[in-house]
Order: sequence, then structure tokens, then C-alpha cells
Amino acid sequence: MKQGTRVMVVDDESIVCERLMKHLTGEGFEVETFTDSAQAIERLDSGPAFEVVVTDLKMKGPTGLDVMHHVSGNSPGTQVIIITGYASIEAAREAEYTGVFDFINKPFKLETMAALVKKAAKKAGKDRRFKGGGGA
Amino acid sequence: MAFWKQLLRDRGRTRGVEGLKTRLSSFQDLVAKNNRVLELFADAGEKLGGEYVFDIQYLHGLARSLEEEVRGVVQDLEALTGRRNKDLRAAVERVSSEIGAVIDSRVVAPKADYVIDLDAVDADLAEVVGMKMARLGEIRNHLGLRVPDGFVVTTYACRQVLDHAGVTLEMEEAFGGDPSPDPDRLKAVAAALAGRLEDARIPAGVARAIRTGMSRLGRNTRCRKVAVRSSALGEDGDLSFAGKYRTVLGVTAAELTAAYRQVISSLYTHEVMRYRMDRGAHPGRGLMAVGCLCMVRAKAAGVLYTLDPSRVDEKVVVVSAVRGLGKAVVEGVSVADRFVVARDAPYDVLSRDTVVKDQMTVTAREGGLKRIPVPEAQRSEPALSEGELRELVSGAMRIERYMKCAQDIEWAVDTDGRLYFLQARPLRLSPTIEVRQPDLSGVVNRYKVLMRDRGEVACRGIASGRVHIVENDDALGDLPEDAVLVARTSSPRLASAMSRIQAVITDVGTATGHLAAIAREFRVPAIVDTRCATDLLAEGMEVTVDAEENRVYEGRVDELVHSQLLRRSAFEDAAEYRLLRGILGKAAPLNLKDPQSSSFTASNCATYHDIIRYAHEKAVEELSSGRRMNPSRNGRFVRRLELGIPLDLVMIDLGGGFRKRDKGRSVGPGDLTSKPLCALLDGLMTEGVWATGPADMDLDGFMSSATRAAPLSNPLAARVEHNLAIVSESYLNLSLHLGYHFNIVDAHLTDRRDENYIYFRFAGGVTEMARRARRATLLKRILVANDFVVEGRQDLVIGRIKKVPTDVMKNRLRIIGRLVGFTRQLDIHLRDDDALERCVNGFLEGRNSPLDCTGAS
Repeated sequence: MKQGTRVMVVDDESIVCERLMKHLTGEGFEVETFTDSAQAIERLDSGPAFEVVVTDLKMKGPTGLDVMHHVSGNSPGTQVIIITGYASIEAAREAEYTGVFDFINKPFKLETMAALVKKAAKKAGKDRRFKGGGGA
Repeated sequence: MAFWKQLLRDRGRTRGVEGLKTRLSSFQDLVAKNNRVLELFADAGEKLGGEYVFDIQYLHGLARSLEEEVRGVVQDLEALTGRRNKDLRAAVERVSSEIGAVIDSRVVAPKADYVIDLDAVDADLAEVVGMKMARLGEIRNHLGLRVPDGFVVTTYACRQVLDHAGVTLEMEEAFGGDPSPDPDRLKAVAAALAGRLEDARIPAGVARAIRTGMSRLGRNTRCRKVAVRSSALGEDGDLSFAGKYRTVLGVTAAELTAAYRQVISSLYTHEVMRYRMDRGAHPGRGLMAVGCLCMVRAKAAGVLYTLDPSRVDEKVVVVSAVRGLGKAVVEGVSVADRFVVARDAPYDVLSRDTVVKDQMTVTAREGGLKRIPVPEAQRSEPALSEGELRELVSGAMRIERYMKCAQDIEWAVDTDGRLYFLQARPLRLSPTIEVRQPDLSGVVNRYKVLMRDRGEVACRGIASGRVHIVENDDALGDLPEDAVLVARTSSPRLASAMSRIQAVITDVGTATGHLAAIAREFRVPAIVDTRCATDLLAEGMEVTVDAEENRVYEGRVDELVHSQLLRRSAFEDAAEYRLLRGILGKAAPLNLKDPQSSSFTASNCATYHDIIRYAHEKAVEELSSGRRMNPSRNGRFVRRLELGIPLDLVMIDLGGGFRKRDKGRSVGPGDLTSKPLCALLDGLMTEGVWATGPADMDLDGFMSSATRAAPLSNPLAARVEHNLAIVSESYLNLSLHLGYHFNIVDAHLTDRRDENYIYFRFAGGVTEMARRARRATLLKRILVANDFVVEGRQDLVIGRIKKVPTDVMKNRLRIIGRLVGFTRQLDIHLRDDDALERCVNGFLEGRNSPLDCTGAS
């Protein structure tokens, strides 16, 4: 069975998770969403790796940067997109330092996010759908 | 003249000019903030389209930004007028607090009578009577379809009842800071609140109003029993609450207060509170209006869907019908006849599935309902005749067109064969239904495209109807329901028709303008600034407006229209979307549409849109009045303009208006750098405009003038005086006394079209009444033909145009220049209506003197 590109979405606002789940799934991605960032980090430690992680920056519990650091330390090939509704320059710099793929400001267009995830997936070298590749 | 001599003498003193500069700066700030508010509306409206993801932080940010900008607008107006405007400040506080209540999910009942007759109900009263009754009011009062007589006990009455019973307090205490308690706790709270309400006494004032309402209903109709129906805030609107609130049928006057209490108690059933909580609303915060509608002696009743929810692409209407009252169909507990009917006239019945109906529900003589056997002969007969079906579907399609989405309708036919609509709400469709069918591109290729990518889409959506070109406000009252309104300008006055039209297309306007905001509020597809709609689209032509792709097709593209009916999708039910709609509902509607109306006051501003509209209007008025623009001191910025015609024009430069030569008090046209003044003078100085030849005076015209003014031998010979232009590079405020005409032009001309406007006012001019009327007509017709929004009283004509591109602005200023010169010698030529016609047509054809138009010697 073909395996799609796996995308993790982490945002404590359930509407963001729901809408990204629906849209990105429609675009052919395998999507898992988490409104609890601690659970997202647990998931990163278990189960198959994600090609792309989309995470909100400011959340209750571990922040988007915590998620990002966890990804950098444990899954270097994974690309991280950070959603931010705040002009948090320091946080952005820190994220850049550790290698964020890109930032996106809330509110954002679903199609903009989908385009960004596709780019990130290409960079992750795992986007079989666009490279015309086969299984895992 | 002494004033102006003094003005010119007092060079070097710049206080007055500096004051003007400050005021102009305030005005420019006001316009910029006004535009930002409209952009925020537009931006937020776009977020409702479903393509964006946003969260509660965005909503807080939006509310903050709106409040900040609107407060700024009020402060700028105050700086401009030099007066504190308490009423306007209070309006800002009011709207801000209402928006705060939306974000906190607090429900607010506007102050209203306890009881309102259904005859007086429409969509504007949605917060007072609930959405369900508001829709019924629209169907009855605007569509003219038959709805039972009745009255509504308002949300304000409900608030009194809840407060009086101590329910509000107990509910807030019970939830404290936790609006998402566990299920057991929620059940316990629900039971306690419902119990408290059932035991409570209805406050005397509310009970009296209900009794009075019922006895009035009994007097005016022969109604003795009513259906008592819930109409809660939010019900059938953002959330359906379908079947969750109580309805009591067959209620007598004696039982009414108890039935009312029963119905409002259903605010606090566990099921309702859970439903609210699951959809992100506060479980306990609800308010309910209650409709009391005459019972219909139904021989048949049921439910109609304007689309089949299980097969939406089949484009059919589905009708379920039983004998007697429709309660059993609504509750889904009885078998019913099922009819499938075509959505288009003549509404052919496509299939019939008639069942045997042994029993029916009727109103019991003593009150309440009872089940009785259906007469033997009728049991296997269809509950509705073909004629009744057609009438029902025809009415339902009118409702769908009016409401702009597929409908779920309850109806009844009485024993005399009269059809009644009992309820209409948006049909809930499965969230998995796609908005646009993938093969539509192939379909639309078969239709002729009349307009493609012309102008800007101001509100997305698709609609079909017949073109109705509106040239003046009078035509707005007679618009048919399927009108696609086509107009030259995006005047906010078109707003009054917005709830009744299918789509709007204008030649001029912007997506951030007032009209665009109103179109979004009503979800009316809108394309503005096409520059050509009034030329390309003919009156009565059937068109389909696709404001998703910015196209207008010839004919009805049924597939596109059909896809639009399914537009409402699951994301719109999410709490964030409901809150955003709620915020925009408090901020964006425009109620103050007519500056000449006595209700155009600061204290009547009910929304942010009203506030900025009012402030903008008053600011323009303030600048144009000249009352505060007369400097008390002149400065080195004052020069006389030498034009070679007897136009004694003094200019005050606020910055960049003209190049100053070191010597002399005059400058020539070559020194002017004020763009609006240059454009206007370009028109005024066009060859033939400033005619100085002898006028063709007739005795009537002369005598009439002579009797109304100081002695003069020839009005044209009167030296023009007291003319003042306050200018900057982009601004012009011009006061011109020419003969006995007084013109004011206030204009702002920049590369930023949203800041551009022209305000032109023409007043005075002695001549007989008939000529004055002809003159006003001439001015109005010429201005309208050039896209101005025009209003006027007697001698006074005011034309406005705004938010047009720079090249159009320049052209319109040139026309104003020509018009100023043209009208200067106009009165004596307007002998009769024929001369009026010739002058209007001549001017529009490019002739510059009334003499050339009338051909008089």
C-alpha cells in the first residue's frame, strides 16, 4: 500500500486543527492533529516520523518552540512550519537558528498553508506524490 | 471686501492658516481611519468565506483594531469641529460593549416592548423577536405570502422573566468560571434552572402584555387558539436547535401564560444546554422570544425541502404531507405522502408516493390536540392536490430566492384551501457536500460571458436574476425579487434595497466602500468598479452573476446557481465563525443611510459603520461650509489668482498648492500645483465656457431677477467677488460667487482612490420658480450622467462622488469646471422644458455655452 506524506498539526485551537485536517487530507496528505502539545511531543517519540510538522507558536503547555526543538533533536529530516499570530521576533529568531522551514501568520489562507506544506514536504525529500515515487 | 483687504494686508500672520492646516490634517486622518475601518470590515468579511483559518485571538485583535480606529475617527471629527461630541462617544461605548458581549458569549436583549405584532416584524428585529419569527415577519410583510396572524413576546420580556425568577443569577453562579462542566453537573444545573423557572411567577407587566396581545388578536381575527413557538436568539440562525425547544399547539387565552413559561423553560433542558456547549457557546446563556400564532384549521400540513438533502444534485423539491396538522411529520412519527416537484415553474410533479393515512392530528375544542380518524374516502387520497402543490412550491421558491439558500419549510393548508407558511429556515445539508461541482467549468462554457474580470468582487457568491438599472433612488422601491441591481455608483443609498435583491453590479466603487460592506452583511454577490456594467447590461436581461470567478453570464446558469444553494457548510457552524459573524453584525451594518433624514444623528448611530458614516458626513459638511475655513489672519500663503477672466479668486495655500513668487500678490495659472484646482480650472477655462458676450435676456427672466436682487442692469455684468480657494497639492475647497449663484467645491485628489472625493454644491441664483426648478433639474441630470450621487432641495443641488481613480477624478473636476461656467449664464436661457432638454443634451455632448445649446440669437 502506498504511504502518503505525513503531516502533524499542533494547535491548541481546535478549529485550526479541524480545518487543516480537512483541507490537507483533501490535498492528499496523511494528517494527525493535536490540540495538546505535550501529547504531540509524545507522539513524535513513538510511531512513524512526520515529513512536516505544522505547529502554533504560543500554546498552553509546551510551546511551538518546544515542539520544534524536539523535532530538531530527534528527527532532523522533518520540516517545521510555525504558525504565529504574534510578531514575536525573538521567538522567530530562535526558531530560525534551529532551522524552521517557514513561518505563517494567523489568519492564513488554507491554500497558502497547503502550498507551504507541499514545499516543506519536497524539502523533506519524502513527498512521493509530487516526485511520482512509490511506496515507503 | 473689507475682510479680504484685511486678509491680504495681514501677511506674515499665519495663525489662521495654521489652524486650517491642522483641521485639514484632522480631516485627512479621519478619512484614512474611516478607510481602515472599512478595510477591516472587508477583511473580516473575507475571513467568513471559508478559505481562511483564524482563531479567537484574531477576533480579539479585530475587535480592538475596530474600536481603536473608530475612536480615532471620532477624535478627528472633534478636532475638526472644535467640539466634543458626547453622543458619538456614547455610541462608540455602546457598540464596543455589545461587541465585548458577543466575544464573551453574553446574550443581550435590546430594550423593546414586551409584545410586538407580527405585522411589525422583519429581519431588523431579529434580536428582539428571534431569527425564527424575524424570518416569518419577512415572509409575511416583505414577500406578502400568507403567514398566520399573531404576535411575538420579545427577548426583552424573556430577560425580565429570567431576572425576576432569579434564573440569571443562579445560572451565572452555577457555572462560575467554568462554562464546560462535566455531564452530571450540567444535568443537575439544567434541572435546577428549569425547575426554578417553572415555579416562577411571570412579572405582572409581561403577563399583562401577553393577555393584551391575545385579546387584540382575538378581536382582529376570529382566532381563539394559538400555537406557541420558540424563537430563541441564535435558533434557526447560526445554530438550528431543530426540535430542541418546545412548541405548544392549540393554546387558549387562559392557558397562554403557562404555555409561554413552558416554552421558555426549554432554554434549560439538558439537551439544549449540551447542544450549546458542544458548539462552543455558553451552555446557560440563552434568551428566547416566543411567537403566538393563530392555529390553522389544517386539512393538510407538512414539511418542504427546496432541495433533496440526500440527492442535492437532482434539483428537485421534496414535500411531505399529512392530513390535519403537521406535528407528526415534523416530529417524524407518522407516515406521510411524499411528492417530488421540479424547482422551476410550472413546478411539475415528478413523483407521488401516496400512503394510507388512517389518523390525523387536529386542535381539540377544549384546547390542545387530539388524534382522530381520517374520513374513509380520504385515506388513500393524496393530502395535497396538484394545484395546491404548485402553489406551495412556487411560494417556497420565492422564499428560497429571498433567503438566498436552500430552505426547510413548515406549511399548512386550511379547510378553505388557503396555504400558510409556518416556518422557514436554512436547510441543513451534510458537511461532506462539496461547494462546487468539479465539472462546472464544462457547463459554464456553454453560456455567453457578458463581463469577465471587470472591476472588483466586493462580495463573493453566485446569483441569477433580471437586470434592473437604477438611475435614481426612487426606482429602489419597485425592485422585483429577482432583480440584479445595476447602478453607476456604489451609493450607500442602494443599501436600502440590499435585502431584496439577488446581486449588485456597479460602474464605480470599491470593495472597501460602504455598499460593499452592506453587500457582505446581506451576503449579496457584488461586483463593483466595472466601469461598463450600465453600458453592457440591458434592462430586463436575464443574467447570472458569478462573483466567485468575477463573471457575468447571459441567461440563467442553473448549475452555478444550484451549487450556490449548497454553500453553507460545516465550518460556518464553528464557534469562531459564529463569533465573527456576531462581531460584524454589531459593527458593520449601516443604518444611517440618508444624511438629509432627521434620524441622521449621532445618538442614532447603532454600529461602528453608522459612526464612521456620520463622522465622515459631518466632516465634509464642516469643511465645505466655509464657516470655520475663513482664516482670521492671512499669511504669506495668500495670493490672488490672475486668470484673464473676471474671477476674483483669492487662494490660501495649505502646502503645495501653488509656487510663490517673491514679489507680488498674484500668481498665474502656470504657478498652480494644486491638482484638483488645476483640473477644475482646466474645465472652467475651456474655450467658450466663460462666455462674456451679451446675453439673450428676455423680459420675464430679467424682471424676475430684478425683483429678487439689488438693482442691476445685467446679471452677467455683475462683477464676481468674494471667491476663495483653500488649496494644497491634493486638496481644494472652493467658494465661488458667480452672479447670483453660489458654488462650493470640496475635493481631494490623490493617487489613492479610496481617499478621493468631490463634493459639489450649487445654491441660489435669482430667477422665477419655474426656471429655478429647471436649473436644478439640469444640474441633477448632468451630475447623475457623470456618476455623481445627487440630492437637492429646491434651489440647492448637491453632488458627491468618491473613491474613484485619479483619471476619473480629474475628468469629473473638469466637468464641474465646465458646469460652473455653463450655469453662470444659464437662467435666462431656461425659458421652457424644451430649452432645458437642449441645454442638458448640449452640455453632455460637449457644448460649453447655453447659447450654443438653445441656438437663441
